[in-house]
Amino acid sequence: MNAAPTVKDIEPVKADPRLKLIAAKIKKENFKPDSLIEVLHIAQNAYGYLPMNVLKYITKALHLPPARVYSTVSFYHFFSLKSKGDHTCLVCTGTACYVKGAQAILNEIEKTFSLRPGQVSTDNKLGVSVARCIGACGLAPVVVLDEEVQARASTTEIVEKINKMVAP
Amino acid sequence: MAKIIVYIDDKKLEAESGKTILEVCRENDIEILTMCHLEGITDIGACRLCLVEIEGNNKLLSACTTKIAANMVIKTKTERIKKYQRITTELFFAERNHVCSVCVANGKCELQKLGYKVGLDHIRYPFLFPQCEVDTSHEWYVLDHNRCIMCTRCVRVCAEVEGAHNWDVMNRGNQVRIISDFNTPWGESTTCTSCGKCLHACPTGAIWPKDIVQGQLNKNPGMITELIEKRKLGL
Amino acid sequence: MNRQELKTTIEAEKNKLDLQKTKHRICVCCGAGCISSGSEALLKKLQEEVETRGLEKDVEIIPTGCMGPCNQGPLVKFQPENTIYQKVDCNNIQPVVQAQVVENKPIENMLLFSDSRSKPFVNAKDDPFYKKQLKIALQDCGDINPEKIKDYLSHDGYQALDKVLFEMSPEDVIGEIKHSRIRGRGGAGYPTGLKWETVYKYVSPEKYMICNGDEGDPGAFMDRSVLEGNPHRVLEGMIIAAYAVGANKGYAYIRGEYPLAIKRFELAIKQAKKMGLLGSHILGTEFSFDVEVRIGAGAFVCGEETALIASVEGKRGTPKPRPPFPAESGLWGKPTLINNVETLAGIAPIINKGGEWYSEIGTPKSAGTKVFALAGKINYAGLIEVPMGTTLREIIFEIGGGMPGGEDFKAAQTGGPSGGCIPAEYLDVKMDYESLISLGSIMGSGGLIIMDKSSDMVDVAKYFMEFSMDESCGKCVPCRVGTKMMFDLLQKICNNKGTRIDLNRLEELAVYVKEASLCGLGASAPNPLLSTLRHFKQEYENRIEKEI
Repeated sequence: MNAAPTVKDIEPVKADPRLKLIAAKIKKENFKPDSLIEVLHIAQNAYGYLPMNVLKYITKALHLPPARVYSTVSFYHFFSLKSKGDHTCLVCTGTACYVKGAQAILNEIEKTFSLRPGQVSTDNKLGVSVARCIGACGLAPVVVLDEEVQARASTTEIVEKINKMVAP
Repeated sequence: MAKIIVYIDDKKLEAESGKTILEVCRENDIEILTMCHLEGITDIGACRLCLVEIEGNNKLLSACTTKIAANMVIKTKTERIKKYQRITTELFFAERNHVCSVCVANGKCELQKLGYKVGLDHIRYPFLFPQCEVDTSHEWYVLDHNRCIMCTRCVRVCAEVEGAHNWDVMNRGNQVRIISDFNTPWGESTTCTSCGKCLHACPTGAIWPKDIVQGQLNKNPGMITELIEKRKLGL
Repeated sequence: MNRQELKTTIEAEKNKLDLQKTKHRICVCCGAGCISSGSEALLKKLQEEVETRGLEKDVEIIPTGCMGPCNQGPLVKFQPENTIYQKVDCNNIQPVVQAQVVENKPIENMLLFSDSRSKPFVNAKDDPFYKKQLKIALQDCGDINPEKIKDYLSHDGYQALDKVLFEMSPEDVIGEIKHSRIRGRGGAGYPTGLKWETVYKYVSPEKYMICNGDEGDPGAFMDRSVLEGNPHRVLEGMIIAAYAVGANKGYAYIRGEYPLAIKRFELAIKQAKKMGLLGSHILGTEFSFDVEVRIGAGAFVCGEETALIASVEGKRGTPKPRPPFPAESGLWGKPTLINNVETLAGIAPIINKGGEWYSEIGTPKSAGTKVFALAGKINYAGLIEVPMGTTLREIIFEIGGGMPGGEDFKAAQTGGPSGGCIPAEYLDVKMDYESLISLGSIMGSGGLIIMDKSSDMVDVAKYFMEFSMDESCGKCVPCRVGTKMMFDLLQKICNNKGTRIDLNRLEELAVYVKEASLCGLGASAPNPLLSTLRHFKQEYENRIEKEI
């Protein structure tokens, strides 16, 4: 059995408050390797994605093989290894939204901003992504702009709001 | 372990309870096709070649992971199973870019042998032609993703036998790939011990030593089984 | 807290509730749907309004869980009259308070469904939307504040737990559940009592109880609404289940997409612990049980039991072949009971009212009620709960108010990517496990999407195949390669480039993937394709006709 890493192992990362958050979670989980996903959630929330140095830090702190960490990260939709942009546009493509025209919204976004789901604009201002269902089917189609849910979204309205959102 | 009676392909057999259907079949010279199975490492039931029919169960079960039970009636060679073995083999070939004639493993490849076994003369499904990389960064070995069938024998051997866990699987669905460390080039891995066990575990020409030319590859997966046996005996 | 203290607390809360019956209780729906429509701002505005009018003493404002008709939100319900107002916002809340609280006279043109019914109902219970429903799992959703344990206690909360701990042995509990004939609401419909009994019979010092809240079907939000609207009910179900099978540690695996559900469930755990209903020596007995929340990270396949277990262990959510079943070897290799959220929400009422009562609801083979998430081309989209065996026609045309613009019904999709499409000629099918299977669909978790003629069934099949392809874990060959092959073939047919041979290959692959896949995801992935091939074959034929 490996000895649990001490606070000293966490020392070098003290500078970034977000890494502190992760360190605290790892400590709370008692450095258990099976807490990997819980810890990754904290990191993903703090950064919006999982930077490589953060992954390396988590791997070391939890005594996990790097390949296992990377395989877990790449398996789940929630975790992303790339930054998603300063502003985000998430289009729900659940069945109800699909029936009510989510694809038309995505098409319009692609036409206007030349961005397809999963892509980020070159200036990193806007990231477009899709969700499989955010569970607001009664309000379909649904788009989430910077954490704000847009109910019964109309194509033109969404494009307008995105323009406003990314405007300097 | 207590002995129990099972019926495999209409043969009445006596076998030790606790054994898998695959083990009992191999002990009794009943052929079961396998790909992800490697004697000694954990079975995962992923290739679905060893599927068998069990009376009273409407699901097909993998022989490598299913334990025998008293009076179990097992069928290993029904028309349905043969048909599915053929489709599985076809899908293996269609999934990536297998060109036997230029492969180091030509003539020594388990996938090629499987193709002969199920009587594959052509593949009825469209080839997917995915873009695959060839990792030549390791000093001695090459990993060619074009020839990988995702049996994950390398992953399990590395983690369970060598204890290095250099390999794992990234992504999901048809995007899965074998990775070393953080999807880093094999040659830059911090965990690989260059022991070469993955090379012997690999059933195809996906992992091979650099000093080998086409058709000259000799793999010895039995060596891994031997090693595990010896360790168990404390030799 | 011990048993007597719990009893006293429950009595006190009930008395309080009785006193309030004479007063006004204003329930503001804070389900996910209504929150997106702005009910949180409305709640604040309402509180201000009541304060300015100096009505604090006569009016109690309660943020509640989902009330059902989500596309009419934000919804506000006045108790005890049970009058529901729809599309209430910060601008029109004033007259509503004036009319309802001060003048005691409802505003008719703002009542629920007032824009589509010639005579809306003052008591919402009389509206056909609610009249045909029977709420068991959703019983108190929309009436209680999900963030207050005392609200739950005042609605018979934790009385089932009390009964179980002091009056019943684990065998008694399992017997009662078996007697109720309740089946797993996650989709497969395995008898819950049998599942509990199996786990109970395995002897092990460690056993686990997992609540499966990884509701991943697109178009389904039943579990979400239960977790958000009445988390304590699910928690109580978990504790009872753990007591019955002998588990001391539990995990609630909740989808990461549901932050509110996670927040409320975590709060419920905290509150229950504080009151001694959870943790060590529950209500002073020898029974101890602790629950932790695990947040799903976005993988549909994690709804599959063995994949969920791998995920709780912090690994890739790849399924394992069964047997061995989790009941024998589950989390950390120990006997593990996994129940769906909706199943667990049904446990407390069964204990309180008896298995006999539950078994008499529904059909002979499918007892009880089922929650459906009604969506698509339907007038009243939202969350409903009906007795098993209610027909599709009743659900669509009586509860759901029919199709918008009087369009003709074409098909209903049940069970999401694992289910199938039911065509118009089967509108009178009874919604129960066996009837749906006989039509090539499944009950699934309860997503119910209504489609009219604008939906192209080949495209629908393609849509679900793409979903399954993307969500395949990639472990076994049939699902990993088969779903991709089927998707490619469907795309080809959709583009009018398919041939007869392609169609034959598609059918062959569908049956192969269904039978040869390792887990439930692969085994059910071909269902949308197979069911549309069965009921809408002509649409496929039309696409390939042009070729040879």
